[in-house]
Amino acid sequence: MGKTIIGISDMKVSRDSEELLITFSLGSCVGVVIWDPLAKVGGLLHYMLPQAKLDEEKARKKPYMFANTGIPLLFKEAYRLGAKKNHLQVKVFGGSQLLDSSNIFNIGQRNYQIMRRMFEKNNIKIDAEDIGGNVNRTVSLEIGTGRTVLKVSGRGEVEI
Amino acid sequence: MSRLEEIIALIQHIPPFPKVAIRVMELLKDPDVQAAQLAEVIQYDPSITANVIKMCNAAYFGLPRKVSSLDDALVVLGNETLKDIIIAGSSARFYKGEIGAGYMLELGELWKHSVAVAIMARLLVRHIKNVDPGSAFTAGLLHDIGKRFLSSFVADDFARIVQEVDREKCSFVTAEKNYLGISHADLGAMILEKWQFSPEQVEAVRRHHDSDALERDELTALVALSNGLVISMGIGVGVDGLATELHSEGLNRFAIGSMELQLCMADLVMEMEGAGEILDL
Repeated sequence: MGKTIIGISDMKVSRDSEELLITFSLGSCVGVVIWDPLAKVGGLLHYMLPQAKLDEEKARKKPYMFANTGIPLLFKEAYRLGAKKNHLQVKVFGGSQLLDSSNIFNIGQRNYQIMRRMFEKNNIKIDAEDIGGNVNRTVSLEIGTGRTVLKVSGRGEVEI
Repeated sequence: MSRLEEIIALIQHIPPFPKVAIRVMELLKDPDVQAAQLAEVIQYDPSITANVIKMCNAAYFGLPRKVSSLDDALVVLGNETLKDIIIAGSSARFYKGEIGAGYMLELGELWKHSVAVAIMARLLVRHIKNVDPGSAFTAGLLHDIGKRFLSSFVADDFARIVQEVDREKCSFVTAEKNYLGISHADLGAMILEKWQFSPEQVEAVRRHHDSDALERDELTALVALSNGLVISMGIGVGVDGLATELHSEGLNRFAIGSMELQLCMADLVMEMEGAGEILDL
């Protein structure tokens, strides 16, 4: 199976049933996995920060860095390859944070919240999630089968 | 011999930091040092010489023209950049091989993490004043050197350490110290002392996982913050994950808020793309 690594601030959508998309090491970043079982189209986005308004120039160069520019592109690309909104399964991972008593380091939580708001506005349901805590997550998606695997460093892997 | 004694005894066998690098750092304290004086010292270490030339042509440092000799390189480079290059070139040798397996780090991940923290430290100098950028880069690059030598001991007690982190919701470094008698931060500080780095750098390495690090001296705060952000971003992070405690109240005195942190994270992603040559050292 061909393996494609999705780095920080990157995204890939595919309909190659032999392809595996994988992203390593989601900390406060969020990984969004979508898959259409009928069209056999799937995608994986690894965004790092909530809002593109932080730095518009970077958002132009790297739209997948931000939730509010990356998420729409993920869905659009899946539709372009034949996925249908009401068929899509949506799974989200990441949004961890450091152990901190105040809120400056809560980027993981903000990353998650903005995604929830965007999904609610657009009537998109989250089918499964593994969010928060202080762990580091690796997530993969098999395009042909939709098999989604979550691996937490030192604690084994599970199918989600 | 107890295990703690065994770990501490290891330090005697750690090879010295390259003498040429230390001598060059001393020379560079004089802002008027001449390129010829530097060349005189550097030329005796072929691996550092090769690195200086190679790194001159690296995208990260963005120099205007190709260089092919040491003399050319020293003319083109600023002293600050030269310091970073020599430190990076001299440190890389300690990060080779399967060295982070006890922390579940893949090959090359500990070096990648270290380079990212060094670059982040340089970026944060814009907010945390009164820190020499070269010292920040160096301390960032070497902050986890203790992991290199503690990794196999962590592997021995792996299950117990991970269980304690999960059960007690404590930081990984707390559990590491509970079971091994010493943390990678303490061990790293001892190694930097042996290598004769400055007391400020030794302190920054020793305290980089202290929860109150941001309230301490500037270099300590800067290294702890760089490390915290790079861990958040998941760059070169293993089993310890985000289980590190860092109280953000200390950021107020530097007028750093969430927006400043996010901008530095965004900048780091860009800079890491140009840092391929450093990662390949």
